Amino acid sequence: MLNHELLIAILLLSPLLGFFINGIRFRSSNYLIAGAVATVAVGISFVSAVLLFLQLVDLSPENRRLAVSFFEWMAIDKLRVNAGFVVDQISGIMILIITGVGTLIHLFSVGYMHHDKGVTKYFAYLNLFIFNMLILVLGDSLLTMFVGWEGVGLCSYLLIGFWFSDSAKAAAGMKAFITNRIGDAAFILGMFILFFTFGTLNIHELNGLAPTLVESSWLGAVTLGTLMLFIGATGKSAQIPLYVWLPDAMAGPTPVSALIHAATMVTAGVYMIVRLNPIFIVAPNTMMVIAIIGAATAVLAATIGLTQYDIKKVLAYSTVSQLGYMFLAVGVGAFGAGMFHLMTHAFFKALMFLGSGSVIHGMHEEQDIRKMGGLKKYMPITHFTFLLGWLAIIGIPPFAGFFSKDEILWLAFSSPSGHWALWAAGALGAALTAFYMTRLMALTFWGKSRVDKKVHPHESGLTMTIPLMVLGLLSIVGGWIGIPHVIGEYLGHIPNYWEHWLEPVIKKLPTSDAIVSHQTSTEWALMGASVLIASISAITAYWMYVVRPGSSEKIKKAIRPVYEVVNNKYWVDEAYFSWIINPLIQTSKSLWYYIDVNFIDKMTFKVADMAMGGGSFLKVLQNGNMQQYAMYIGVGVVVVLSFVLMR
Amino acid sequence: MTADAFLFWFLAFVTVVSGLSVILMVNPIYSALSLAMTMIGVAAIFVTLNAYFLAGVQLIVYAGAVMVLFVMVLMLFDLKHEIQAFTRGRLTGAIKIASVGILSGLIVGAVTMGLKTPVVITASSDVAAAPTVDTTRALAENLFIKNVLGFEVLGVMLLVIAVGAVALSRSKGGTHARD
Amino acid sequence: MLETSIFTEITLNHYLVLSAIMFSLGMAGVLLRRNLIVLLMSIELMLNAVNISFVAFSHYMGKIDGQVMVFFVMTIAAAEAAVGLALAVSIFKRFKEVNIRFFEHLKG
Repeated sequence: MLNHELLIAILLLSPLLGFFINGIRFRSSNYLIAGAVATVAVGISFVSAVLLFLQLVDLSPENRRLAVSFFEWMAIDKLRVNAGFVVDQISGIMILIITGVGTLIHLFSVGYMHHDKGVTKYFAYLNLFIFNMLILVLGDSLLTMFVGWEGVGLCSYLLIGFWFSDSAKAAAGMKAFITNRIGDAAFILGMFILFFTFGTLNIHELNGLAPTLVESSWLGAVTLGTLMLFIGATGKSAQIPLYVWLPDAMAGPTPVSALIHAATMVTAGVYMIVRLNPIFIVAPNTMMVIAIIGAATAVLAATIGLTQYDIKKVLAYSTVSQLGYMFLAVGVGAFGAGMFHLMTHAFFKALMFLGSGSVIHGMHEEQDIRKMGGLKKYMPITHFTFLLGWLAIIGIPPFAGFFSKDEILWLAFSSPSGHWALWAAGALGAALTAFYMTRLMALTFWGKSRVDKKVHPHESGLTMTIPLMVLGLLSIVGGWIGIPHVIGEYLGHIPNYWEHWLEPVIKKLPTSDAIVSHQTSTEWALMGASVLIASISAITAYWMYVVRPGSSEKIKKAIRPVYEVVNNKYWVDEAYFSWIINPLIQTSKSLWYYIDVNFIDKMTFKVADMAMGGGSFLKVLQNGNMQQYAMYIGVGVVVVLSFVLMR
Repeated sequence: MTADAFLFWFLAFVTVVSGLSVILMVNPIYSALSLAMTMIGVAAIFVTLNAYFLAGVQLIVYAGAVMVLFVMVLMLFDLKHEIQAFTRGRLTGAIKIASVGILSGLIVGAVTMGLKTPVVITASSDVAAAPTVDTTRALAENLFIKNVLGFEVLGVMLLVIAVGAVALSRSKGGTHARD
Repeated sequence: MLETSIFTEITLNHYLVLSAIMFSLGMAGVLLRRNLIVLLMSIELMLNAVNISFVAFSHYMGKIDGQVMVFFVMTIAAAEAAVGLALAVSIFKRFKEVNIRFFEHLKG
């Protein structure tokens, strides 16, 4: 058995090596070599992740922690940061998701990108992303995590703007990068506050130093620090108010959307909060903010998703909405449920994105679902796997999404910091999700074909369908490791493996006895209610888009004003432009014109003119005439000598 | 007036006059010949100072080798006409002449004022009392024992110079030569 | 009496003054002549002037080191003449000109 230090090194360096290999030969357009190098690199990472996970399982639950420190990165007074990496219960799962889903998406990309000229560059970026994501999840201090945090942001920017010759796509990349910058600035501030409060940035030490008393003030150090970190998370994980970049990020290649903007990078915020749960838990105000923001995002993004016609935009808003669920979960203290939904979401959302990639590929780069329909018979495998993802996301038992989403909704209701309003928001979001996902299915795969006569849809090749099938399988069984107690008891003492696994690293809310007081019947009732709501909503959508295709237009007309608001995404982008970005640009312009051009520049020019004036006076002496130079020596000798002799 | 004094004044006159003609002759070949005359004069002055070996070296190296080099190069250039022998520019010319004059005046003044009393030849001198051959011997001993490192370095330098001079004169001229 | 002794009795000062005058002549040549080769000759003149004072000091102070120094100076001077002339030759071959004013164009 390889020891864990070597395994972690292999895990990290394998994608980096792949990045270097593909990065050096980035001009090549041979998709087979590039794809093979990148996929094998991530595959090796996956194998070492599995081995690491097995080692982790072998350890006793209290000591499940494989730490390694490669070197001391920096040591400034109290601040000591190692290039240290930790595999524990949380990051162990994350590395499995990242490398596992990552490998599948790399494989998918081989088929999807084979016609692209920059395919080698693409795979190099993808490998770099995997490397940075692993740094993010494995880093043993906030600073190390931040390195990965920034690294994935960079890779996201590079990949969104991958087809940068299209200025809209380049702008989307820029938007993602700048929006993330705002969050990252807050993240840095949060790190400062935590460092000044606790004197360390090491996550393990921070969690150990977390105060035992709950901090009720809004201005307490922990509350402020965690709020700042949460703002950083809203940037990376696309929550209100910084979610605007994620829908635009769909400009990138579809496998990128699947890997970065659905399965891994955008979940970094949730992951970070779960990692720091002992700190967050003592700041109930922060937790409340997180829960409210999460619930609001879940509903808001879902409503926008109702009106979108771009297959990837629908999925993007769905991602924002599902991330909202995760934040809702961690906000009510259900960190385990949040992580659980993170994992199942990674499976089914990656599946759906790859499925949409397969559709787009088969439709020759067509993304508008109004021009699809009836694709079921052309793309049986894509349709079937997409169906599995659909069932998972709308929460039909026993698919993966049901267990995780139900767990979140139940805890939003029953947790000590939960509230029935949060449950209601979550249930509403679930209904909306069921509606728009059914609408997507109906418009894309079912009903009558609206495909352009010139386009001949075709099923994708094996490299693209195999990942779909694997992810489809995971979307079915992925939830079975976290079956809730009530169902587990009913089916015959199936334990909740997930909860047991995470127990040692997740702190319970201070008054966790409250959960017991709720009746199991309540849980059954709420579970049934949410499934029922989702089913009704899905059936309604089916009726509207398949049975009576014209009815949606009538409803649209009936609620015209509301529809306009939602269809224009609540004018959030426009509001940002008119209230924040444009005033900023105006201020900057006036600063540029009045301060920089008219004051600083003029001052410097004055100084430069003085220097030049002095220079033009003295440059007569420096005329290149060597005899004149000799004369200066002579005059100098005379002056010095007379000075010496006169003395 | 003793013979020594007469010899000094005569040689001083010769060297100064020929030195002047080096810088005043418009045709460079005359300058070269005047320089040769100066060299010979300096060699003779060395003889009056009992430095016989150096006098010989002076004749061979300067009046012989170096002068031949100068004359050869002048012949090589075949300068039909000297457009302008002296630099133009009244102000700089005046400053140059003035600085030269003041410098020589300062040195001469300093020498005559500062060293009023002639330096006494010390009893332990190894030159004045020593006969002719012994000066050369003392020079050789000093050169090959005390200053042997400098001597060797000079040898290496001469080799480098020889190679460099050949390389320089063989080049087509200029660092951007194309043909 | 003093007047005559200056002429009849040759001291170190006489040689030093001679050396100074020759040095000044060489310097005037360097400053005023425009022919590169004459310039080099003037430099030789200056070196010789220094040599005179070295040998004179050596003679009057009774130390042989001055003569050793002259030996070194001669070597350097010969080398300098060789390199200088080689440069002059290569420049002349390129530009057909040995006027020192031409070097202004090299200032860049």
